[in-house]
Amino acid sequence: MVRRIERSVQELYRDDPERADALAFGRRGALKGAALAAMGGAVGAAIPFGGSMPQGTLPALFSRPAAAQSGGPALLDLPGKGPLILQGERPLNAETPETLLDEPVTSARNMFIRNNGGVPDAAADPRAWKLVVEGEVNQRLELTVGELEARFPVITRQLQLECGGNGRAFYQPQARGNQWGNGAISNGEWTGVRLRDVLNAAGLKSSAVATGHYGADPHLSNEPGRPAIARGMRIAKAMEEDTLLAFRLNGAAIPQLHGAPLRLVTPGWPGSLSQKWLTRIWVRDKPHDGPGMGGTSYRVPVRPIVPGSSNNGRDFADLESMPVRAILSSHAHGARLPAGTRALDLRGAAWAGDLTVRAVHVSVDFGASWTAMQVADPANRHAWQRWTGRVALPSDGYYEVWYRATDSEGRMQPHAPPNWNPQGYGGNPISRAAILVG
Amino acid sequence: MRLAVLGLALLLASPVLIRPAAAQPASQADAARAMAERAEEESVLAEGEGRSETFGYCTACHNTALIRRSRFSRAQWDGLMDWMTERHGMNPLEGEFRDLIVDYLARHYGPSQSRARNPFLN
Repeated sequence: MVRRIERSVQELYRDDPERADALAFGRRGALKGAALAAMGGAVGAAIPFGGSMPQGTLPALFSRPAAAQSGGPALLDLPGKGPLILQGERPLNAETPETLLDEPVTSARNMFIRNNGGVPDAAADPRAWKLVVEGEVNQRLELTVGELEARFPVITRQLQLECGGNGRAFYQPQARGNQWGNGAISNGEWTGVRLRDVLNAAGLKSSAVATGHYGADPHLSNEPGRPAIARGMRIAKAMEEDTLLAFRLNGAAIPQLHGAPLRLVTPGWPGSLSQKWLTRIWVRDKPHDGPGMGGTSYRVPVRPIVPGSSNNGRDFADLESMPVRAILSSHAHGARLPAGTRALDLRGAAWAGDLTVRAVHVSVDFGASWTAMQVADPANRHAWQRWTGRVALPSDGYYEVWYRATDSEGRMQPHAPPNWNPQGYGGNPISRAAILVG
Repeated sequence: MRLAVLGLALLLASPVLIRPAAAQPASQADAARAMAERAEEESVLAEGEGRSETFGYCTACHNTALIRRSRFSRAQWDGLMDWMTERHGMNPLEGEFRDLIVDYLARHYGPSQSRARNPFLN
């Protein structure tokens, strides 16, 4: 178990930042011999498996985003919310530290916050909130939240909700947008009705190929009638059994910040398809073209492009099912453990969009050897999976816990963020947490 | 700072808080608005020519966190001006005023680390 720690690796490191900077960014070639010893000096401990550090790899404590920023990140202070990492105030965005994702079901308190526009005022009468379904349907529907709940089967599911830009901070050169680490993920227990039941009630025309979603949040410019974001998905995803029109989270009303009183939950696909404060579903006869569609938004190259190059995204494809990813929730990056600690009991979560996770492996020797963790089944399809396991440490010193998930089709998290793109989607490299023993 | 996070993580991970039954605060929208409207001082940005203009123009829509977290080349900053106009309805930035802002951003919020030359780009 982790015990409360008194000093972090970063604090040790901060004692001599100039030297550390020189070591971290001014060195050449592999960390070997004297350089390795010096690096060990900089992190405040020997690096027991330093010999197997891949060439050109910086210790995680120097290279990890957000967590490794000097002074630490600003934290959110808002009613009903935990101390999330503040990404910005306008629009309001906040990331959940991996250690706050230790709950099997993510509490509303610890759910990351993603906004493209402003946060609308709470509805005076949530049950009377109206949803319009129109477009390529036989019958336009106008349904209140109360009617949705009364008329259609109500179901409850644990569902992954992940920002399409989760992992963006790992890209170099930097990609545009919130610099999320791995923490733009949640696994809440959502209650609502299936979107497909409502679409079937409206009757899809044969011309229906996609949805377009609209919410009540104002654009940042406050220009009336301008949507903050309005994305859509192919009709097959809209008709999936886990795609919900949700009105409760973890058995309670959805918090205002998270889209009360009605939102889409489109698990496993970019969170922007889980429109908050939902007012309208427009069934389209072509892919939706609202703000947030097309160009480089939520889209990734089909033919890989040179990192840092400019591209209008015309040949990109929409990011749909999210890539496999693991988080480590038992140990914070920068945790210091008592001298003599010879094993780590680790736990976390892993998920893979529409797929499942077949395996999670951990390495404490820079990838030279990997230990399989135990991965639990998901509570239901599209829920994340919890993992636990133990790794041995041969001595005191500086370690990195590298954690890597493999999806049900055998794809692993890669060593480096793949398929660079201007807005940084799909960044799911193997993650690394720095641990100091002694 | 991370230590504080870890400490809180331990507190928050206690079972009683996993499924909060308490009524949600009614004031989240107000609190979010207050955060969004919290006045920023121009001095939150790096000092230099063009700071006032940059601060004034950009914070019409968003606060400076979006600027301060960014490390882009001049070409990337320049392209972002068009992107904001095309995608978010920003008034087009042109001429000397555009140069002043883009130069300021590239000078003070440029790529943070010198990296190996990219043979495909240079």
